[in-house]
Amino acid sequence: MIIAERKPFAEIKAMLAPYKKILIVGCGTCVAVCLAGGEKEVGLLASQLRLALGLEDKRLEIGEITVERQCDLEFLRPLCDFTADYDAIVSMACGAGVQFLNQLCSLHPVFPAVNTTFIGVNNAVGHYTEACRACHNCYLGITGGICPVTMCPKGLLNGPCGGTVNGHCEVDPEKECAWSRIYHRLELEGRLDNLREILPLHPHNRTTTPGTVIHPAYKRRYGPNE
Amino acid sequence: MSKLRETLEAGAFPVVVELKPPKGTGVDEMLAVVKALAGRVTAFSVPDNEHAKMRLSAIAAARLVQEAGGEALVHFTCRDRNRLALESDLLGAASLGLENLLLVSGDYVTLGDHPQAKPVYDADSVQLLQIAAGLMDGHDSAGLALTGSPAFFLGAVVIPEAEPLPPQLMKFEKKLAAGAQFFITPPVFDLDKLRRFREHLPEAPVKLLVSVKVLGADEVAQAAAGQWRKVYSLPPDLVNDLAGKEPEDILALGVKAAGRLVQQIRQEKLADGVYLKAKGRTDLFTQVLDAAGF
Ligand code: SF4
Ligand code: SF4
Repeated sequence: MIIAERKPFAEIKAMLAPYKKILIVGCGTCVAVCLAGGEKEVGLLASQLRLALGLEDKRLEIGEITVERQCDLEFLRPLCDFTADYDAIVSMACGAGVQFLNQLCSLHPVFPAVNTTFIGVNNAVGHYTEACRACHNCYLGITGGICPVTMCPKGLLNGPCGGTVNGHCEVDPEKECAWSRIYHRLELEGRLDNLREILPLHPHNRTTTPGTVIHPAYKRRYGPNE
Repeated sequence: MSKLRETLEAGAFPVVVELKPPKGTGVDEMLAVVKALAGRVTAFSVPDNEHAKMRLSAIAAARLVQEAGGEALVHFTCRDRNRLALESDLLGAASLGLENLLLVSGDYVTLGDHPQAKPVYDADSVQLLQIAAGLMDGHDSAGLALTGSPAFFLGAVVIPEAEPLPPQLMKFEKKLAAGAQFFITPPVFDLDKLRRFREHLPEAPVKLLVSVKVLGADEVAQAAAGQWRKVYSLPPDLVNDLAGKEPEDILALGVKAAGRLVQQIRQEKLADGVYLKAKGRTDLFTQVLDAAGF
């Protein structure tokens, strides 16, 4: 899922300074799981704003709403009628959700309330780690299910750098070297032969942004994407 | 042909000394080392933004080394350039008469002095070796033909004390397959470790240059404080001997130890040559060479 972190309160407050009536829109999917922008966090941000502005004797009218997924037109469209009354919208979704909302509600400025950080996993409450950089050419089948692109800071495709110390990474000694892990895992699985071949240069043209994917079944409808 | 290659192939135990390109344009000090030692060593090695710390261009420094009468061994790191830049710089290096290359992944940017820079690593060191070998064969990494192809002597790094060792050996094999013609190790202080590593080397003749380093006071202090985190180990006896001494005394003892190591490596044929690291200082290099009987 997408992991995000709430922006510092002062930054959000400064962005909203010119407005009198705002709508905070939460997202019930990834950012809710990582406790950055779900329904609870919408409430929290609204209270924080009310309190801070109250202390300064300023008035800000705040609406709160959370949709299931801001990155999905189906869930987002009904919101459009609802936003008309507000001066500005604060989206607590990831960057994709913020932009989608911005595109749909074209008459209002939309502000992000989180910093979108990475695609990762939920290890335990409050503890998330990056796991995939969406490289468009997944190597996991070769590398024992451990991503060389993401788990190795250098994204090396052909084995460890010279900096591994006791199986740990030169960049962050707290972390295991991805290539020690990959090797060990393939050894356990009896698949070390996977590492014989030299992997070629990565096709970075595939990651030219912004990417588009069209499901094969819908090629006729949307046209080819290649 | 590269003197380094000739010397290695003749079994004549080359000595390479590592220079420190300046942070700035003041190249006099670096070139003074070349002028002083050109008659005594085989080649001068020029790191490429070593430890991710920005310094004068390695290619420019290597060319200046050659103009000053030395032969250069120029490092190329994958950290700072994408494949286009790597390839055109490789051709550029060749056109400036540079033949000896050391192709490395490169220390990560956050460990250096521009921690916010974008790390590139478009190629890794194995792929960079393939790229260089391809250029020698007359084509670039896109498969397009070159007008005039370079002659390189391709070097790579291997870590004898890597822990765990098997992934390192796997990478070593890949580097060989990709076209590496010689290997350089990080500093070695414990020759037993080098002896054990040699047992893993393939039958195929591989030229190995082992690094010998003159330790500085800062490194000794780090090791004495139990904060040593490098890909090579320091024998505790050595650290105990040096800890707490004056910096100049540490260097003097370090020079003696380095001289002994070079002698032993040569006598026991533990390597085909040595790669000296001594803060890029002529006086230290000279003393090590004297102590080693060169
Ligand atoms: S190789 Fe890594 S970055 Fe690429 S798609 Fe697979 S998990 Fe994601
Ligand atoms: S130590 Fe391992 S994970 Fe870290 S940069 Fe080197 S190869 Fe990648």
